[in-house]
Amino acid sequence: MKKKIVKLDINNHVYEVLVSATDLLVDVIRKQIGLTGTKKGCGQGDCGACTVLVDGEAQLSCLMLAIACEGKKITTIEGIANQETGELHPLQQAFLDHGAVQCGFCTPGMVLSSKALVDNNPTPTEEEIKHALEGNLCRCTGYVLILEAVESYVDSLAKGEV
Amino acid sequence: MNILHDFEYFKPGNKKEALELVKKYGNKAKVLAGGTDLVIMMKEKMIKPDYVIDISDLNELKGITYEEGKGAEVYACTKVADIESSEDLKRKYPALAYAASQLGSHQVRVMATMGGNCCHSSPAAETPAPLSALGAKVVIASLEGEREMPIEDFIQGNRRNDLKEGEILYKFKLPEPEKNSACRYGHIGLRDAMEIDCANMAANIQLEDDKETIKKVKLVMGSVAIKPLISKAVPALLEGKKLTEELIEKTGEAAQGEAKPISDVRASAEYRKDVIAALARRLVKEAYEAAKEA
Repeated sequence: MKKKIVKLDINNHVYEVLVSATDLLVDVIRKQIGLTGTKKGCGQGDCGACTVLVDGEAQLSCLMLAIACEGKKITTIEGIANQETGELHPLQQAFLDHGAVQCGFCTPGMVLSSKALVDNNPTPTEEEIKHALEGNLCRCTGYVLILEAVESYVDSLAKGEV
Repeated sequence: MNILHDFEYFKPGNKKEALELVKKYGNKAKVLAGGTDLVIMMKEKMIKPDYVIDISDLNELKGITYEEGKGAEVYACTKVADIESSEDLKRKYPALAYAASQLGSHQVRVMATMGGNCCHSSPAAETPAPLSALGAKVVIASLEGEREMPIEDFIQGNRRNDLKEGEILYKFKLPEPEKNSACRYGHIGLRDAMEIDCANMAANIQLEDDKETIKKVKLVMGSVAIKPLISKAVPALLEGKKLTEELIEKTGEAAQGEAKPISDVRASAEYRKDVIAALARRLVKEAYEAAKEA
């Protein structure tokens, strides 16, 4: 299997990785780069656990060829906290504050899908939040606490608190 | 580490290069647009292309244009999310924008393209029914030139379409909506998110100048035949008449009589027959009311 070196911009750091055409982005992020916050769930694009931001949009790394991502800006869950202080992103903190995290497997995808939504639409309605998160499945908390966490982040943004 | 079979990957820099590659590799190649169907099919070993030609980033194949009185053009690699959020499409072709909003999840809509949705040619696809009801044509490109045809002729059956070796789907042409007309889309699935439709439908109704008499109807059913099914009975029933409760009931029965569904994991044929009648009643009524206001 022929391999080539590609440059992947992940969390504002350019990684040079040796990949074959068939390597999926989720595998390269987890196994070659070692960022294991991105979870590999169904592998079918159904569960949303592998969600990463690609050029600011929530996308499914289990359905993306790593080789196709050269030149794109990828953000994983490790990339949204404050890189210098380690302080969590306010959206991550809202998930903690509202008990919207249980086993944690869906959490990175939930947080990144929520971030993509609010970055594009800072005042989403409840329905818009549900529509944006419909591709992220959770089997622990249910969705009420997650919805409350996102709504609280939206409120904090509106009040200029974060 | 990975479950895909070996293939060679190409990322052409422009449309011409893409056409040269599809011509060179023919049926040994598959075109990658959004990947939300193709990568899954490769993972499941349903297809094993020797070459993958990635056209997802070609700007020549992206975008939506609309000109008042002339209609819209949607390029094949336009993301479904962009169709969902396009102000022009929401205003002039709301059935298509709504159908786009109901496809997969947000992540899937950000990645998937309308060209891919149509080329995958699943009977349960969301966009072919409204495209057909709206009178859309597809433009197919090859090194030899372009050809176009109605979307319903392009899709020929379950995962079968009229793309020949050396061709790619280039764009969709949507005619300007007729005066006094409105099109509506609806679907039924097992849940309200991430479901694959067990039935979907689009109804386009044009009224006479009295805004009550039905001049023309196009009703297209999805997921109840091997390809989008265009009703013959419903136009025969409704054209030239004003819509009444009795006609709405008969519309449901007429659509039900034409649907040829199968039973599968998502729904039984009997259930699909029931819901197709309900969809026909609802959408014809909705489109009729909207056409009065158009």
